[in-house]
Amino acid sequence: MTAKIAVQGLGHEYVNPFTRERVLALDGLTLDVADGEFLTVVGPSGCGKTTLLNILAGLIPPTRGAVLVDGRPVTGPGRDRGVVFQEFAILPWRTVERNIAHGLEIQGVPKVERAAAVRRFVELIGLAGFEKKYPHELSGGMRQRVAVARTLAANPEVMLMDEPFASVDAQTRITLQEELNAIAQATRKTILFVTHNVEEAVFLGDRCCVLARRPGRVKALVPVDIPRARRTWKLFTSDPAFGAMKDRVLRLVREEVEGGGGDG
Amino acid sequence: MTPHREAVVSWVVVLAAAVAAWGLAAATLPLPEYYLPPPTAVLAALGDLVAKGILPTYVAESLRRMLLAALLGLAVGVPAGLLLGMSRRVADFFYPLLNFFQSVSGIAWLPLLLVWFGFGERTILVAVNYTVLFPVIFNALLGVRSVPPIYVNALRTLGAPRWRIVRDVLVPGALPSIATGMRLGLAYGWRALIAAEMLVGAHGLGSAS
Ligand SMILES: Nc1ncnc2c1ncn2[C@@H]1O[C@H](COP(=O)(O)OP(=O)(O)OP(=O)(O)O)[C@@H](O)[C@H]1O
Ligand SMILES: [Mg+2]
Repeated sequence: MTAKIAVQGLGHEYVNPFTRERVLALDGLTLDVADGEFLTVVGPSGCGKTTLLNILAGLIPPTRGAVLVDGRPVTGPGRDRGVVFQEFAILPWRTVERNIAHGLEIQGVPKVERAAAVRRFVELIGLAGFEKKYPHELSGGMRQRVAVARTLAANPEVMLMDEPFASVDAQTRITLQEELNAIAQATRKTILFVTHNVEEAVFLGDRCCVLARRPGRVKALVPVDIPRARRTWKLFTSDPAFGAMKDRVLRLVREEVEGGGGDG
Repeated sequence: MTPHREAVVSWVVVLAAAVAAWGLAAATLPLPEYYLPPPTAVLAALGDLVAKGILPTYVAESLRRMLLAALLGLAVGVPAGLLLGMSRRVADFFYPLLNFFQSVSGIAWLPLLLVWFGFGERTILVAVNYTVLFPVIFNALLGVRSVPPIYVNALRTLGAPRWRIVRDVLVPGALPSIATGMRLGLAYGWRALIAAEMLVGAHGLGSAS
């Protein structure tokens, strides 16, 4: 397998334009993500996960190192790399259906096909009947699901997801995780999925990448050798290998969080 | 009573009380009539102006000038503000300038305008259009700058070209601020119009005295 995404010696330093204060968010991060791989990323708060995703998305240029997608350096955002942002990023003046269809609208997909996609994805995220609602009429978790649907509908090759299920209730979260699993299996998209939830990271990832506390580097890459087809919560939670893997990742994360200093 | 009707009734009562107090003061205070004319005299003068057809034509004149300024604000002020707001550096550069002009009413420029443009229609039009235009430009610029960058980024990652970001994000995001700018511009503009008409003495509401 060739690397779909190659991150080479990536470093990023934020400079406050007023105080000249510098924050080194990432330092020497090297990572390969294979084509069709589902990579989950965990790490202490403030270790640079969002920064990494923004750099991959092409929204901020890194101060050191490089990022290659399909062997080409990333120079800006593109529709080959879809993003689900950590904050709410759906447009408040568009209804649910128009938000979900936005990517397709931009791609010039005809109206009939857009409507079909909307039907499919509102069903998938459990928001059928809410098509004509505006974001302010939805709960936080519902809005986040709309954002996920918008990115899925746009059908990018690479999906960069920043804690997309953080504000979703436990029950819906499980449904969404299983759906995402099915999508990953069916479409073989390359997915980078940031989460704080170790259980989620192990459940979803082909590999789980643990980042060290700021400045973020790869601390460990834990392969999760459980076939995707077996990843339903029922099967997964009864598998002792899952528990062991979860404990291992949790230990790695806690070392970073408790290791003193940092924002964790 | 609905809340709306309740408010209307309250205001009728307040207004009636104010007019009554005014009438009482004019009748009892030992002042010459030109100092505080009674409500009846003002009403008679109003009736006279209407009867001679002066007031209706003056109102029409003023409204025409106001309408012109409003159209100019929409057609020039809004696009100008949107355009200047699109780049942070351009916006930062123009911000102090626009803030200055939007806070100095055309009324303050009238002495100078009279010297430049004379006692005529041109002075009135310059004062009013200037007063309307700057709050409109300023608020349209602020509106664009206040759109959360994450919305712009979301569209960029969906592959949206520049014009699409303008149409789908910047304009709708700036709309509330544009509405504020128009409302302020027209409110300030109306006062500048009356002031200019009073000074210039040309036809219009301000000169109806
Ligand atoms: N625009 C910015 N300007 C300055 N510093 C920033 C900026 N964005 C992030 N940082 C800093 O960079 C570090 C990494 O931030 P980042 O948002 O990438 O962390 P994160 O891993 O996503 O955290 P969380 O898990 O809480 O979302 C933090 O210390 C943060 O304070
Ligand atoms: Mg983050």
